[in-house]
Formats: sequence, structure tokens, C-alpha cells
Amino acid sequence: MCAAGILKIEKLSKSFNVDEKELKVLEAINLDVVPGEFVSMVGTSGCGKTTLLRLIVGLDGQYEGDILLDGKRLSGPSIDRGMVFQDHRLLPWLTVEQNIGFGLHDRKKADRKAIVQQHINLVGLKGFEQAFPYKLSGGMAQRAAIARALVNRPAILALDEPLGALDALTRMYMQAELEKIWKEEKIAMIMVTHDIEEAIYLSDRVVIMSPRPGRIKRVIPVPLARPRDRDSFDFVQIKEEILKEFHLEAEKYFAYSI
Amino acid sequence: MAQGDKLKGLKGAVVPLLMISIWWGLAHAKFFPDYLCPMPEKVIGTAIRLYASGELVFNVKMSLFRVISGFAIGAGIGFILGAGMGFFRIIEKTVGPFFHAFRQVPLLGWVPLIVLWAGIGEAGKIVLIALGASYPVAMNTFQGIRSVKKEFIEVARVFEFSNRRLLAAVILPSALPEILTGLRLALSKSWMMVVGAEIFIAANGGIGDMMWDARDRFHMDIVMVGFILIGCIGFLLNQGILWVEEYSLGWRKTFEKG
Ligand SMILES: Nc1ncnc2c1ncn2[C@@H]1O[C@H](COP(=O)(O)OP(=O)(O)OP(=O)(O)O)[C@@H](O)[C@H]1O
Ligand SMILES: [Mg+2]
Repeated sequence: MCAAGILKIEKLSKSFNVDEKELKVLEAINLDVVPGEFVSMVGTSGCGKTTLLRLIVGLDGQYEGDILLDGKRLSGPSIDRGMVFQDHRLLPWLTVEQNIGFGLHDRKKADRKAIVQQHINLVGLKGFEQAFPYKLSGGMAQRAAIARALVNRPAILALDEPLGALDALTRMYMQAELEKIWKEEKIAMIMVTHDIEEAIYLSDRVVIMSPRPGRIKRVIPVPLARPRDRDSFDFVQIKEEILKEFHLEAEKYFAYSI
Repeated sequence: MAQGDKLKGLKGAVVPLLMISIWWGLAHAKFFPDYLCPMPEKVIGTAIRLYASGELVFNVKMSLFRVISGFAIGAGIGFILGAGMGFFRIIEKTVGPFFHAFRQVPLLGWVPLIVLWAGIGEAGKIVLIALGASYPVAMNTFQGIRSVKKEFIEVARVFEFSNRRLLAAVILPSALPEILTGLRLALSKSWMMVVGAEIFIAANGGIGDMMWDARDRFHMDIVMVGFILIGCIGFLLNQGILWVEEYSLGWRKTFEKG
């Protein structure tokens, strides 16, 4: 709804200081995301996926290389880049309704109420408007967090394992909903997931990362028509291709450790 | 449920009833002379007489006036001090050490200084109470602000909150449980201090003054009336803040609620 938002990441490296030592977490990351694109990132735990998302939304500064939005270097967070955190981060003192409306602080009250209600219905939390987060299951909390990030209609939305805590059925339902929102709102989405099928089902491209330090190993395009059929030959083919990358990784890992 | 609550109320009455029985027994067995251990019925009679003459109401009003003034001033200063130390390291570094050093001085140790500076009128007593009230509020406000989760602040940052909104929507609600605990401790400390203030700094009226005066004249019954009154009013003040806590912290998953 705001700027077009062409995201360009060039030669990005990021290190943390751990016990006086420099720990390189990301190295030589190059990635472009065009407006309205859906990109997924898969990779083993600790390979820097969350770190990359945090850099994209502007929560971490201090990096080498460039993160450019419409040609301008990022400086800090902005309302047109949203984030769904890996831990849901609902504010415990606000009800579900208030949490979802949390980012809508500059809207008129009536608008706000309507937008919030629409999103409550969207993520299937009807009837839980007045519940405090401690009463929600992990999956419900995650759905509320997704709704909270969506209400502002950001141009770019970073999603950190947004469906990780959901059961298989709800997960498939939410994948379809996410695809619908993505299509309707033309939000560019960058999603981290551990579920390869989910990545293929939703993405235009799947980015495979390798660890220590985190790098982009391969980018696999998914040129399939939507909505996608998980059992189709092409779908399974792509899945095998991605799995192969992981197996190679695993073999290498064991070769090292033996 | 209702029966359980009733039972709980009865359990709370067991110890007071037992103590009154022992008191009644000791007084009627005449172990001690009457002026040291007056009979319960005589104390009740004295209470009624003091109430009818308006003396009791006057003294309670005087004490409450001092407590409320001292508590309001002390809590206000404590809050500002605690918030200042919580937000600004420079204030913590400069004011903190003094604060912790003075905190070691027992409140009664301040009496000579306060009498010299503020006199033996109302000001001296109110200053002493304010001093007692300021410590717990400052400490707990500081702790509350420092324990606000960085994760929640990041959520607000992603939505581009101004500092003022961040304070109102994240930091204060998150620190509220600790701030309220500080206020509760401060109020009960103020209530304890008022009696001391009225005894150690010559007073015109007040429950402490009434008791001290009666002691001089060996009116143990009046002392007992004051003693019981102090306990009851202190209990009610504490219940009042507990009620406020329960009302405003309904979002917490507490031990009692299970
Ligand atoms: N603030 C930090 N300070 C120091 N080290 C950090 C910090 N944040 C992340 N790291 C380190 O960076 C590496 C990558 O972390 P990151 O959270 O990005 O991994 P991830 O790919 O998201 O993993 P997961 O799939 O388990 O969520 C880890 O080794 C982690 O210990
Ligand atoms: Mg992560």
C-alpha cells in the first residue's frame, strides 16, 4: 500500500560478538525480492535465517554490504515492512482483539474495529476477541500474530516460521489463506520455514541456505501454476531437488564429524 | 465454590478468635492487674465511648491525613526516581549509589535530622512518611522498567511507535505489576510509619498520639483500642491495593488462577 518496495540485498555479511570473539553468521548474501513476490528460506537450525529477516525489517543494524529498498539503504524499521516473529510475541496484557489492532494506532476507531474484526475472522479466532494470550494455544497465538502483522498491509512482510506451531490441517488451511492474502494484497512475502512442501506450495522461489557462516546455497524457482497440487509430478520433482541439497549437506556434515 | 470461599473466610477468623479468647481468659483470671490487661468488654466499651465523643474519628482522620499526604508525595518522588534510574543509565550511575546507601539508614534514624529541618509540626511527620514510601516505589519501578522484555519493544519498533507511545503502550503496562507491588509496600510502610511519627515527633492528634497519651496515664484500654484499630485499618489499606492489582492485572496467568 506504500512504496513499491524493491528489495535488493548485496554482499551482505553480519557478525555477532560472542565472548569477545567475532562470530560470522551471514556471509556474502545476494538476494533480490521484487514487489509482490513470495520467497521462502529453508536451512538448518542456526544458519542465520532469523538474523537475515531481522536485518530486512531493520531491527538489527551493523552489517557489511547493502540492503537497499528502492535503491535507498535501510535505516531502521518502518511501518511498510512487517514481521511475524518466530515466538509469537503477543503482548500479555492485551486481549486478542487489542493485540491484533496494536499496530493500527493512527486509524479512526471505527475503521480500526472493522479491520481488526475482518482479520480475526480471517485467521479463525472468532469468539476469542476478548481472550488474553495466556488462554490461547500455541497455534492460536501464532495466528493472532499473523493477523497483527497483516493489518497494516505492509509492502514487505517477513515471516519467521509463522505456521510452525500449527497442526497439519490448520496448517494447510492457513497456507491457502496466506496465499489468498498474498495474491489479493500483493504483499511481498519472505518466509522462513522448515517445511519444504510449504515452501514449494507458497513460493515463487525457494532459497536454500547453508550454515556456518550462513550463505545462500541455491535458489530454486517454482514455476508452477497456482493453486498448486502437492501430488503433481512437477511439485514432487522440485521437492526431491530441494531434499537432495539437504542430503548433500548432511553427508558433508557427517563426513566432517567422523 | 461459594462454600469454599466461606470456609476460607472462616479460616481467617480462627486466629483472631483464639487470641481474643486467650485475652479474655487471662483478663478474667486476673493474672495481671487491670491497668495492664484490661478486659475485652471494657476495651469495647472504651471504643464506643471514644467514638461517641468524636475523639476516635478525629484521631483516625489525623493519621489518615498524614499517611495519604506522605504516601502521595513519597510515591510520586519514588516513581520519578525509579523511572529516571530505569530509563537513564546516567541517573542510575549517579543517583543509584546514594540511593542505596541512604536506604540502609533505618527510617527512625532520620527522625533527628527531619525534626531539625522540617520541625515537629505536620511537615516533619509527612516528610518521614514520604521518605518511607519513596524507597519501595523507587526500587520496584526501577526493577519493573528494567525487566520489560526487549522482544516486546521490538514489536513496537516494527510498527514505528514514537517513544511516547512505546512508553504508554509497552513499558508502563509491562512494568505495572512491579509498580503496584511497590505502591502496596509503600502504603503499608506509610501506615506503620505514621504511628512511629506520631510517637517520636510530638503530635497533635492521630492514633499514635492517642496511644502514647493514654500510656502516660495508664489507660491501657485506650492503647488496646489504638492497637486493634491500627491492625484493622492497615489490613483494609492492603486489601484495597490488592483489589486494584487484581482488577488491573487480570491478564496475568497467576498461581491462584491456575
Ligand atoms: N544477538 C545475537 N548475539 C549473538 N549471537 C547471535 C545473536 N542472534 C543470533 N546469534 C547467532 O547467530 C546464529 C544464527 O541465528 P539465527 O537465529 O539467525 O538462526 P536461525 O537460522 O533462525 O535458526 P532457527 O532455525 O533455529 O530459528 C546462531 O548461531 C545464533 O547463536
Ligand atoms: Mg530462527
